[in-house]
Amino acid sequence: MPPTPKNAGAPGRGANARMTETFMASTVIGAGITIEGEITTDEDVVVAGTVRGKVTAKEAVTIEAGATVEADVSGGSLAIAGSLTGNVTAVERVDLQSGSRVIGNVKAARVTIADGAQFKGNVDMDV
Amino acid sequence: MAQARIHSRSDDAREARIGGAARVRGRIHGDGALIVEGHVEGDVAIAGELTVLAGASIEGDSVEAESATIGGSLEGDVVAKGPVRLVAGARVRGNLRGSAVSIEEGARFSGRLDCEFDLPQELTDAAHAEERGRAGARR
Amino acid sequence: MATDVSIIGQSARVHGRVVGTADVEVLGFVDGGVAVTGSVTVGVHAMVGAGIQGRRVVVRGAVRGDLVGSEAVVVEEGARVVGDVRAPSVAIAPGALVRGFVQAGEPDQAPLARAAEGARAVSTPAVAARVAAKSQAAAPVATTPRAAAAHPPQARATNTAVAAAASPARPQGARPATAVPARHPPAVAATPPASAPRHPPPPIVPALKKSRGQMAKRRER
Repeated sequence: MPPTPKNAGAPGRGANARMTETFMASTVIGAGITIEGEITTDEDVVVAGTVRGKVTAKEAVTIEAGATVEADVSGGSLAIAGSLTGNVTAVERVDLQSGSRVIGNVKAARVTIADGAQFKGNVDMDV
Repeated sequence: MAQARIHSRSDDAREARIGGAARVRGRIHGDGALIVEGHVEGDVAIAGELTVLAGASIEGDSVEAESATIGGSLEGDVVAKGPVRLVAGARVRGNLRGSAVSIEEGARFSGRLDCEFDLPQELTDAAHAEERGRAGARR
Repeated sequence: MATDVSIIGQSARVHGRVVGTADVEVLGFVDGGVAVTGSVTVGVHAMVGAGIQGRRVVVRGAVRGDLVGSEAVVVEEGARVVGDVRAPSVAIAPGALVRGFVQAGEPDQAPLARAAEGARAVSTPAVAARVAAKSQAAAPVATTPRAAAAHPPQARATNTAVAAAASPARPQGARPATAVPARHPPAVAATPPASAPRHPPPPIVPALKKSRGQMAKRRER
């Protein structure tokens, strides 16, 4: 799934981040990488690999197709195309995209569950 | 026990040189610089710069100098006030201490580096917490 | 879509480990260490609180833990590392601050092809202790950087004199102040034949002309 506009260019950030470390790079957990533990960031996060633990971001969290997240995730907004087991909390919105598989409770001001998304849990839009 | 004394007069800091065909057994100490092209078996204590060229060797317990550039073989602890530099081709075994220790890619080295510095607070805080835990487990 | 380089952003903190098969660039904080089969880069402002394992490890920031590279470890100027460094190729730039044991190149080859080192090591316990304390040929790569009490097996201790002298040397290496225990038992490279010839003696400086017997006596003092 193409990344949300906020994360546009995130896959290409690797090279940029290496050349100039002065700007605040977003966090990208690539396909071959597993994080065992908690991730906390003021910025956005793109997960294409595996996270077991917890993810807390201030900005957008993107869980790409193929990603495996076994964690509670909270962020400014969440776009999920992969597999997530855990509770999901967003300030603005949570989008479960087609092909995603989410088991856990979702809490956000706006929630969309696309056709083809698999979801099991509670939805709380009462902000 | 005889010692090799290669003195450089302090008011004329000439450099001393141990040529490629020379083999010295004994302690070397002096005020000036020392260039080793041959083979030294013994401690070295000089006030100047030490250079060990490729193909040369020093085998001792203690090698002291103002600074050291090692391109050959060295076995022993190196203590310098200034920089210690291992260049490609060096083969060194021993501990290194200096104001700035550097090892070039291609140098072979086995030993400790002991620079005096502090890690960022965040890493040392975590370290102390862990040390306390480990110490408790040990006892 | 799948990125080749994973990035722990500058404002990101990972309380846990980063493992995997890809390349990783740490620009933020990781307290549990990194173990990947790809390359690892630690940025200037980054901090890693445990060991780093990778194919090629480049450190520009602060690391409290061992750096182990299957190909190379590069510690650049401004980096601060408290921990052991081990790789076939190690480069430590001037201005890099490292405190720990460094093994650059193959550990089982003595820098000097001298049989005397092995022979001397058994000559007296005092000399053996000195060799033991000083020679730190690395044991096989340790996987837990902070196993302070763990002693990797001595693959190459070939004589008991060196092995016996090693025991007192070990505890003094396990300094609680840093997470870098000198847990490397001394290892004589190979079993050198006591009578292995050195280079044919070139002309000895006349003032120092000595017999080898006298030399041995001097060493035993």
